[in-house]
This record gives sequence, structure tokens and C-alpha cells, in this order.
Amino acid sequence: MLYREAGQFRSSYAEDQQIFPIRQDRIAVAALLVFAFVGVPLLANQYWLSALLIPFLILSLAALGLNILTGYAGQLSLGTAAFMAVGAFMTYNFELRIPGMPILVSFALAGVCAAAVGIVFGLPSLRIKGFYLAVATLACQFFVLWALTRFGWFSNYSSSGVITAQKIVIAGYAFESTRSKYLLTLAIVAVMALAAKNLMRTGTGRAFMAVRDMDVAAEVIGIPIMKTKLLAFAISSFYCGVAGALYAYCYLGTVEPEAFNLDLSFRILFMIILGGVGSILGSFLGAAFITLLPIFLNISSKAIEGALGIEVSHALVSNLELMIFGALIVFFLIVEPHGLARLWQIGKEKLRLWPFPH
Amino acid sequence: MQFFFEVLLGGLLAGIMYSLVALGFVLIYKASGVFNFAQGAMVFFAAITFVSLLEGGVNIFLAMLITLVAMVLIGIATERVVLRPLINQPQITLFMATIGLTFFLEGFAQLLFGSQPHGLELCDQIEEPRNCIRDEPMTWFADLTGGINVSQFDVFAAFVAAALVTALALFFQKTRIGRALRAVADDHQAALAVGIPLQHIWAIVWGVAGFVALIAGMMWGARNGVQYALTFLALKALPVLLIGGFESVPGAILGGLVIGATEKLAEVYLGPYFAGGGIENWFPYVFALVFLLFRPQGLFGEKIIERV
Amino acid sequence: MHGERAMGERSFGERLKFHETIETMEVDFSGMTFETDADVDPVYDEIDRRAGATGRRWYFLVNYTDCVITPGAWDRFAARGKHANVAYGLGTVRVGASAQTREAIREDAGRAMFRANIFETRDQALFALGEMRKRRALAGEEAIDAYLRVEDVHLSFGGVNALTGVGFHVNRGEVSSIIGPNGAGKSSMLNVISGCYRASRGKIVFEGKDRTHLRADEVARLGFARTFQNIALFKGMSTLDNIMTGRSYMMKGNFLTDALYLGPARKEEIRHRERVEQVIDFLEIQAIRKTPVGRLPYGLQKRVELARALAMEPKVLLLDEPMAGMNREEKEDMARFVLSVNDELGTTIILIEHDMGVVMDISTHVIVLDHGEKIAEGTADEIRADPLVIRAYLGEA
Repeated sequence: MLYREAGQFRSSYAEDQQIFPIRQDRIAVAALLVFAFVGVPLLANQYWLSALLIPFLILSLAALGLNILTGYAGQLSLGTAAFMAVGAFMTYNFELRIPGMPILVSFALAGVCAAAVGIVFGLPSLRIKGFYLAVATLACQFFVLWALTRFGWFSNYSSSGVITAQKIVIAGYAFESTRSKYLLTLAIVAVMALAAKNLMRTGTGRAFMAVRDMDVAAEVIGIPIMKTKLLAFAISSFYCGVAGALYAYCYLGTVEPEAFNLDLSFRILFMIILGGVGSILGSFLGAAFITLLPIFLNISSKAIEGALGIEVSHALVSNLELMIFGALIVFFLIVEPHGLARLWQIGKEKLRLWPFPH
Repeated sequence: MQFFFEVLLGGLLAGIMYSLVALGFVLIYKASGVFNFAQGAMVFFAAITFVSLLEGGVNIFLAMLITLVAMVLIGIATERVVLRPLINQPQITLFMATIGLTFFLEGFAQLLFGSQPHGLELCDQIEEPRNCIRDEPMTWFADLTGGINVSQFDVFAAFVAAALVTALALFFQKTRIGRALRAVADDHQAALAVGIPLQHIWAIVWGVAGFVALIAGMMWGARNGVQYALTFLALKALPVLLIGGFESVPGAILGGLVIGATEKLAEVYLGPYFAGGGIENWFPYVFALVFLLFRPQGLFGEKIIERV
Repeated sequence: MHGERAMGERSFGERLKFHETIETMEVDFSGMTFETDADVDPVYDEIDRRAGATGRRWYFLVNYTDCVITPGAWDRFAARGKHANVAYGLGTVRVGASAQTREAIREDAGRAMFRANIFETRDQALFALGEMRKRRALAGEEAIDAYLRVEDVHLSFGGVNALTGVGFHVNRGEVSSIIGPNGAGKSSMLNVISGCYRASRGKIVFEGKDRTHLRADEVARLGFARTFQNIALFKGMSTLDNIMTGRSYMMKGNFLTDALYLGPARKEEIRHRERVEQVIDFLEIQAIRKTPVGRLPYGLQKRVELARALAMEPKVLLLDEPMAGMNREEKEDMARFVLSVNDELGTTIILIEHDMGVVMDISTHVIVLDHGEKIAEGTADEIRADPLVIRAYLGEA
């Protein structure tokens, strides 16, 4: 009864092409944004912010980047973490070597550097496809990490190998508290998510999807394949680069290569598989799911410990986590290959009828 | 010069080890068109099952048998639970499913057997006196060739691989089942149309792949110890497959040799120029990548012509 | 007998007038009654004879005031009329049809292979005719001799020779068909023209310039659009999005304006959306705008693919078996659309088709391939009688 489109007529193409054509959606999203910007900082405690919400937002951004490349443009990538690493390290270097550099500009420039790396490692996509391409991205992952570790310049020849991220200061205000870091991350992610949605619903996004679905047909329509693929790599890597910078500066507090290992690349790939390949919303849902699952398992194991009085070892829980991840991936691929985003859509369809059965 | 040959031989023999893993991939891809990313996890699973049985005092051959049965069961379960429901999905979906399977198997293996590394020795019995194949240079060879050191173990591995490849080649070419496997790999529908029982075939394929995983697991476990890192062997096998093609048994061997040799040679001769070495982590991938750019189908793959 | 009654006092010949300056043949069916085939045939025989004698192509201006065509005679009427249109001119303009015939014409226009424009007065009709003539004249002036020329094209895959020394030319505004038995190389020829395959030898000349070595997307931007035998739609997108991709090469924005959306990108989207909606109206696919194309039935998918090609506003439209797998009605719909495109927009059309009836009906020019070589070229009638063609299709007698 609540979720009905009755009476909402779109009388212009502009109205038809809105991101949220249904009024209830617009209200819901507005409410969500207000809650996120105002409610959460007031209500959430330190743990929730630093251990859950901030990584959730940052990984959503990275998942968004990967979704642009793999979900929308169809180029499978296993090197996401490498692009994040480039973002983190280049931010560090811009901040370090250019005095008075505003940090937001550093983030952006670091993203551009990541985009450049993305273009270089995206060049093979012009000749090879599918999982051959995935191997090329693996080369990127290993090479970039090796380079960032071996060439001391990146870490300013630090002897311990672990560099502390500089403080974030914007217009004289120091973003030191978790709350402020959360708000900064939220703002950046919100703006970039909007940009991503805009990109995907216009010509750029259509060109990506055309190349994904049938590149021969795309070429015959006049879409330049090479430019489109490289642009996909560039934009995706930019997003991952910014995400990496945020990961180092707003979450970890340090800039180290080990944080951006192959495991992280796989985790982000899982996020988009579970959340929904080719869906902006899916990136967020998948990131939420994967961020929350270990917490959920921890809580359950503690509950079982308490209820049954047996000891559940940490190793057991982490092994179970691996098994559950793997099983979930397979399960989702079989049951709902379009992931949580599709389930969400189905839920909305059902909501239109609620509370009536049909 | 002598040093060069030593490095080269060492690389070639190390490459054989990669080939052992790549063989498993090739088998499954040949028969079902699935790129089984979980092959590395299967090698790990085989190795850790085997070594745990050995440490539990089980006789080596019995341990092998039990592990083989376990691998076959895992293979059949995989085919039934993971692959069959996804039968008409694009290759990428199947690939991602095998990535999920990898994580599942890793967690499962460590759940059952714990996560501490195990040493593995290829000996004929636990108690002394026993004969073992060790990672030591063969002195007689060094004497013969004027000082080139070649590991006893590596040579043994090469023999094992050669035997395995020969057996597989004969299997595919000469036996009825082998022919059926090739038919299935080519075209499922056509194979069904001539009455080939797909389910049985796949069970056999996964069984054979499981056996290959066991051998690879034993070899790798003996060489590097049985530990979690073994799962990432799958990744090292990828450049091998890129070069040798996904469907060719001889390609897997040749690819392995090429990757092994270039990796070692690059590390030794190019490494010092690249900020002090450690390039063997990425060199095989970049090498395979460059190779692909010139020959997208690998050494033995079939040229893909896209018909519009 | 009936025919004499139908013609009334004057002979039918007096109901035909040629207007040289406007290249129009005016036919006066007013007051005539067509009840059976026997009523129709002598009339059309006369039209054919008179127009054929001039050796030229004519526009038609037909007066249907108080003309009665009963359902019994309609099929014959439409069949003869359709044949006449294709042979002698393009486009039919009718004047003042009676209520009965107007409805019959409207209703059956879908079955007939020609468009029915019905006007209230002769002046309106003449005006519309004039507009069409002006457009075509303009096109004619710009036309360079042999708009598209294929010269000595060779193509091989590995050891297989798909095309050997194929050459032909297509004039502007023509509907050309490429026919031939299976494996003759027809699709390959289309692929070479559209840039999907690269010929090993030979030239493709368009608008006077050598276009042989262009990539497919460059060829597209020159004004070529095509459809595929096996429907190359983007299965992950809706109908609307698929057709919008056809506008890609015309969109002037870049990813930065796209990311911002407000401002130039939004205006572009709306502008192109309007044009796409026109194509959607033209092909009558409004109802499936938002449906993901993977879910559409085969016939509709073909139509969406045509829509996407049309959205590119091409100069030359290459259609690869556009009617494959369709039933009679769908084929007639598709043929009607194709002819409308050629008619209204002046698009040159090259199509591959197996249905001989369709080919003969709508083509002005036919090229016959067999085993990668051209064995005949000419008008539909010439091809139909060519012994080489007959042998290629039926084998040795």
C-alpha cells in the first residue's frame, strides 16, 4: 500500500531518466542520507565507526571501482588491491614531497596515478579476454606490490617498511577523530557513488555495457573498443586508487604494501559477486555483507560458547569463515547470479503488493 | 658457464613441478571446459591429508590410496554440487565458482587437519633404516659433468612427471574412455547424442585430476613443506597454462619448462638490475602476458576465429 | 464484361495522365468498381503497358474518389499495385479515397507492400509528392556515380576462400539484395563492407573515397549501419538502452560531463532520447521500451536490432537476413518497414535474404553470389530469368 507508483506519471524524458523515478525511493534515499550524515555520528560508538562503517564505506568504493571494470565493462580483474596500493602510496608521496598540498588534491592526483597504472595494465585487454585477462591483472597485482616494496622512494626509504599516514587537514580543520574521518569518508564515497551512477546511465556506461555484452556489435555501432576498454580501466583504477588512499588514511593509519595483498583483491571480487555484478547498489550490499559476516560469525561463536559452554577456537572461526565465504559464492552463483541487488529488486516488487498477497 | 647450466637445469626441473599442477587444470578443462581455479586448493588438500595420515602412522601406500579416494570423492562432489547446477552459465561464472570452491576447500582442510605446516619426506617407511629421496645434489652427476649440481629430488620429480604424462597421453589417445573424454571436451551435446554417459565421464575426469593433484601434492609437499601457501600454486600454474595452452598435456609440460627456466634465469641474471631481486614473484606473469600478446592462443592452443 | 462496365463511358487509357515536369503518373480510379480479379487485371495491364513504354520511373498519384474495391478484388488489386510500384516508382500517394476504400486501404496497408498516404485534396497530395521529389533530387545531386563500389574483393580464412574477386556497385537510394545459396559468401561480403573483416585484396569505395582499410567503428561513423544474422543485441540492456547505443557515435560528451550529468550530458541524453523515441514509434515497439531484450521473442528482437541500426541515421543500411525465422505476417511487416526507410529517409539498403518473393518484390537491384564469386547482377526480373542463377540454386538439371 505504501510502495505504490500510482499517480506518479513521468511527463518528460528528464523525469523518466531520473536515478530514482519513484517518489518513495527518493524519500527513502534522502532519509538514508540524512541518517548517515547526521544520525550515525550522533548515535554510533567508536567501535561501530572505526571497525565497521569506515571500512564498509571504503571497501564499497573499491567494490564500485571493480564493478565498473568487471561488472559494467566485462573485463575481469584480480588486481584491485594493487590499484588501491598505488592510491595510498602516491597520496603519501604527494603529501610528503609537495609542501602545502591539500589532501583532497592528493587523493585526486593519487587516483589519477592509479588510473595511469590501470591504463598500462589494461592494454593487454585489447588482445586478450576473459580469464586470460584475469592473469594479466594478476601480473599487475604482483608487480605493483613488488615495486612498492622494493623501490625505497615510495616509502621514503623507511627502514621499518611501515609508514605512518600523515594527518588529514582540510582548510585548517584537522580530521583526527574517528567521527570526522567517518564524515569525510562518507562525503567522498557519496559524491563518487553519484558520479558512478551518472556515468553508468549515460553514453559512457552504455558503451561499457555494449563492449561487455558483444564487442563486435559495439564496434559496428561506432563505439571505439580500445578507447572504451582503456577508459574503463582508467575510471575503475581511479576509484580504487581513491579507495586505497582512504583505506590508508582513514582506516589503517599506516601505508604499507602488505595491506593491499591478493587476499584483498579476492575479497573485493567476492563483494561484487555477492552484491551484484553490474550494479551500483550491489557494490554497497556486497561490501556490507562481507564486512559484517566475520562480525556475525564472531558473535555467533561467542553465543555458542556461552550457550553450550564449549570453547570455540579462533582458528575454527576463521576457517569456518573461509568455508562459508566459499560456499556462499557458489550458492549465489547458482541461485541468484545477479546477487543481493537482484534480491533487493525482487523484494521491492513484493513490497509494491504488500500487505496484499497478490 | 657451468653456473648457467646449473641455474637452467634447476629452473627446468622446477618447471616440471609447475607442470604437475598445470596438468590437473588441463585435464579438467579438456573434459569439462571449466577452468578449475581450485586445483591449487586440491593439491593442498591432497598433500595435507596424505601427510596427516603418514604422521598418524599409516603406511605410505595405504595413505596414498586413502588420499586418492578422498580426492575422487571431492571431485565428484564438486562436479555434482558446484558444476552441474551451473552447466549453461558462461565460463566466467564457472571460474568464479571455482574461486569460491578454493576458499571452501582451504577452510575445510585446515579445519580437519589444523593449520601448522608439516614437513613431508618421501621415504618408504617411517622407521630407520629407510631410503629417502632428498633434496640433495647427485654427486655422481656432478662428477660426470664437472661440477654441475642437480638435485636428486628434482630429477625424481621429473621422472614422476614424465611417467604421469606418458600414462595420461596413452590414456587419452588409446583407450575408449580417453576418446570419450575428448569427445565430451569438444561438445557436450554431441557427446550425449552418441550415447556417452556424461556423468560417468566427469566422475572419471575428476578422479584422474584428483590423482594428479595427489602426486603434485606429494612432490610439492616434500619440496616446500605442506602449508597453506601451497594453495597459491594454482596461481603459479597460470602462466604455464597461458603459454602451453589450456587444453594440451604436452603444452603443460613445455609451458612448465619454459616458465621454470625463465623464472630462475631472470631471478639470477636480471634480478640484480631490478632493485635487488625478488622478481620471480611477478616475472612469470609478465612473461606469459607478453607472450600472449604475440600469440594469444599459447604455444599449442587453437587459433580462435570469431565468426560473426 | 464487368471490366467494361467498370470503365464507364471513357476508355481506361484516358484515365492515365503523365506529368513530365513532376515525374508523376496520375491515375484516375474515381467512380470505378473492382469486384473481381477480372476487373483489376485489364486496368493494371494498361498501366504497366503505358508506363513501361516510357522506359522511366514514375511517382504515382491515384484518385480513389468513389472508387469501390471489394475484399474479393483487393488481394489482386494490391498485388498488381505493389508490383507496379516497385517497378515504376517509389511511394504511392492517393487522393480523396472513399470511406470504404480508405478503411480498406488503411487496414490492408500492412499486408500490402507499399505505403498508403491518403490526402483530402489533390493539392495536398501534390505538395507531399513535391517534398518527396525534392528530397530525392537533392540526394540525386549529391550522389556521386556509383555511391558504393566494391572492387575485386578477396577474402580467405585459413585455407578457405570465402570471396574471390567480387565486384559490384550500388547506387544511392537503391534497395539492393545479395542472394545466393548457403555458403556463397553473402555474410562475408557484408562483413567486409562494414569493416568487420579485412579483405585480403580489393577495394571498397564509398562516396568516391577508398574506405578499404577502415575499422568497423570508423565505417560506422561514415554512415553505415547493419544488422546481424544471429541478432547482435546487447542482452544485458533494455530495448531503449540498446537503441540509445546506436546514438553513441553522435554523442559529443565525454566521461567527465557524463559523471556530472547535470548540464550538457543531460541535454544530450534528452535530445537523443527524442530521436530514439521517433524510431521506436516508427517501428511500433513502444510497449517493450523498458524490457530487457533477452526476454523478447525472436521477431521483436529483430525489430529492435533494426531500430538500433536506424537510430544511427545511416546513409547505407546493411541487413543480414532480416526476415529469417519469421512468419508471413512478420515478413510483410519487416518489408514494409524496410521500404518505408528507403522511401521516407532515402537510405540506401543492401540486404541479404533467402525469401525470393521478398527479394523480387522490394529490390531494385540484385547481386547473386555462389561459392564466393559473383555470378549475376541486375534487376529482379533479369535475375529471375538468368540460367546461371537457376543452376546455382537448383543444381545441374
